[in-house]
Amino acid sequence: MINFEEELKKFFPSLEVEDAEESIYNQDLTDLADMLVKTLMESATTTEEVQ
Amino acid sequence: MFCYNCGCTLSEHDFCTACGADVYMYKKIMHVSNMYYNDGLEKAGVRDLTGAVTSLRQSLRFNKNHIEARNLLGLVYFEMGDTVTALGEWVISKNMQPDKNIADDYINKIQSNAGRLASINATIKKYNQALLYCNQGSKDYAVIQLKKVLSLNPRFVRAHQLLALLYMDRQDWEHAERELRKCMDIDRNNVLTLRYLKEVEAALTNEETTKSAVKRKKEEAVRYQSENEMIIQPLNVREPRRNGVSTLLNMGIGILIGLAATYFLLVPAARQAVRMEAQETITKIGNESDTKTARIQELENKISGMNGDIAQLNKQIQDFVGEDGTLQTFEEMLVSAAAFIETGDIHAAEEDLEAIAANVRLEEMTEGFQSLYRKIFEAIGPELSAEYYKEGHEAYRTEEYAVAIEVLGKAVAYDPANMEALYELGQAYAKNDDTEDAIRIFEQVIELFPNTQRARNAQQQINSLTPKAD
Repeated sequence: MINFEEELKKFFPSLEVEDAEESIYNQDLTDLADMLVKTLMESATTTEEVQ
Repeated sequence: MFCYNCGCTLSEHDFCTACGADVYMYKKIMHVSNMYYNDGLEKAGVRDLTGAVTSLRQSLRFNKNHIEARNLLGLVYFEMGDTVTALGEWVISKNMQPDKNIADDYINKIQSNAGRLASINATIKKYNQALLYCNQGSKDYAVIQLKKVLSLNPRFVRAHQLLALLYMDRQDWEHAERELRKCMDIDRNNVLTLRYLKEVEAALTNEETTKSAVKRKKEEAVRYQSENEMIIQPLNVREPRRNGVSTLLNMGIGILIGLAATYFLLVPAARQAVRMEAQETITKIGNESDTKTARIQELENKISGMNGDIAQLNKQIQDFVGEDGTLQTFEEMLVSAAAFIETGDIHAAEEDLEAIAANVRLEEMTEGFQSLYRKIFEAIGPELSAEYYKEGHEAYRTEEYAVAIEVLGKAVAYDPANMEALYELGQAYAKNDDTEDAIRIFEQVIELFPNTQRARNAQQQINSLTPKAD
């Protein structure tokens, strides 16, 4: 049986047009490729330092 | 695919042929991103929008620069009624690839229509308000607000879901089911929708089982949504078995009904059409007849007027040429003048002039006629006046005053300058005890012949008569 109050918690206010700009700026756009590149770069730097 | 280190195009090798960087893992990530994009595209194609969002988000988690995946994600959000999120994705996409990006078109289409953008924002605000009402417990207000939202944006999935939840809360299972079916039309694999729908169907099944078996049998039906209409197809309805005779009988009845319909519907219509046509013809003829009647009446009036003119002209002609007409009078006048010139008979001329004066009004005759009349009158006047004076004087002397008045009057009429006749006329009036006329005549004597003996005598007569008048 569905509990109305519990279900209601799953609904969130929709983004209004005025808030769109802020939402875009706050979006975390880091992807797995970025993380990989960063890791590879750090790894290369560490190797150079050891050598 | 480009090298993350130097930006050169990558080959089939696991390292960059330009800078030698290891690109094995990088290529794997790009492939996985593409795989999720393809998955998302397939799901969007079959309207599994929730699944498409999940796959496309995954694709972007692996490669944020996947422009197609981001644009498609925006499109899917837009289809679900989440316009602002869609705009956000398209703006990011355009920022990453400013040129040759279809996101630019999407943004322009929405931003170029200010009214639509305002409508979108109003819809979102109403949805948020409805959510607030729900949290405050004002469920009826929330239902009203959500209905407004859906009238403005019928593809707003979350609004449909929230409305369905509100209906479910008030156990209005049929309305809830209708809203959830609409959700399914937009997004076929939304987990929340499916869960609510399962609940609603279970509730509806329970409701149906509580009804009586007979009634249920009657009402058993397959229900399904087609566009905006709920189709209810009854089950367990069998066509009665018919044999050949009944089929022929039904066909015969059908033909008879058809013929009857033709007779009762088409024939009256045809008759009506003919009647209308005849009526139009009659009306047309009637109008023409009225026009002609009016024309005849007009001509008759004209003839009547002309007849009146003719009668008047005839009368004028008659007055001119008739026995007592002007022409005849002219003739008489000329004959009289000729006779007088020839014979010099003043008495005949007098009779003629009296006859003419009795028939016509001299002042209405022509100037020539009047002139001729006056000339004859002047020619015979003094001689006749002298004769009448003599006759009147004799009558006065014999004391026949009435005769004297008549004859002396003629003498004065024929010659107003006959002073003696005028004076003696006054005396005749006086003797005849007609004092008023006597004084009038004596005054004429004084006026016409002043400073004469007769004038002085007339004054004495007036003086002597005046006391008698008083």
